[in-house]
Amino acid sequence: MIYEFVEKLDNKVHFEEADAHCDIPCGIYDPITAQIAALTVVRMIDLMNDLDKTHSERDLEYQNSMSRYIAVKEEHAEKVKHEIRVIWGDYIKPQHMEKHPEFHELVHKIMQLGSKSRQTANRETGVQLVEAVNQFAEAFWDTKGISIKHAKAPYAPALEMVYPNL
Amino acid sequence: MLRLIKVSGDSLSPRYREGDFVLVAKIPLLFNRLKQGDTIVFKHPNYGTMIKKVDYLDKDHDQIYVIGTHDFSVDSREFGPISKKTLIGKVIWHLHQPVPKDKIGSR
Repeated sequence: MIYEFVEKLDNKVHFEEADAHCDIPCGIYDPITAQIAALTVVRMIDLMNDLDKTHSERDLEYQNSMSRYIAVKEEHAEKVKHEIRVIWGDYIKPQHMEKHPEFHELVHKIMQLGSKSRQTANRETGVQLVEAVNQFAEAFWDTKGISIKHAKAPYAPALEMVYPNL
Repeated sequence: MLRLIKVSGDSLSPRYREGDFVLVAKIPLLFNRLKQGDTIVFKHPNYGTMIKKVDYLDKDHDQIYVIGTHDFSVDSREFGPISKKTLIGKVIWHLHQPVPKDKIGSR
């Protein structure tokens, strides 16, 4: 009875709506997976260089180790691209783009660097990939109003990383 | 001081459902009478007017962590804490949408 009355009133005056907003994605987004994958790419390039310098013979052991490093580099460069695409496609909303219009260009840059990291064994490209993913992480945490800190990764390669300041 | 607001979305289901009405009061906020578990309405800068439950009150920073009761709720787990300044009020009365007769017993 009361409900019908209020509903009729609502049809006339249109009460404000409060959204109990619900979304299918789980809401768990974190660029750290992409950051670690990017670091792994650099680590593999370092291991490839080390092996090349220390192992003069191109024997079976050399080929086995080198193949493994290359396979892991391939896998993690692709993982960076996948993880960033998911955050970009599922999490980033127009209101985030307003605050950080650089998102699209940055994601494109990461895609390019990810592919280049697969195609080459250039350490500088890997480092650029880490830096670009760090920039993405910085903007991502800002959309949540969470400040960040810069710290060296506590494992090789100890590159500077962006972490949420929780 | 009192506002009648219509609920849309299902993040607080099954307790609050789309189409329910709530009466929201500002008075409890003025006397710091907010506590964990209360249902509040607030204006989020990105998501607009929202209704959620108080998950945790951060008295040091005047912030509130809000949560929905549904697994797929978009709340502080996604957008972080909300500022007390954005509060519209606390829900003090809940008017349920009647369950259609053909749905009784099927839930």
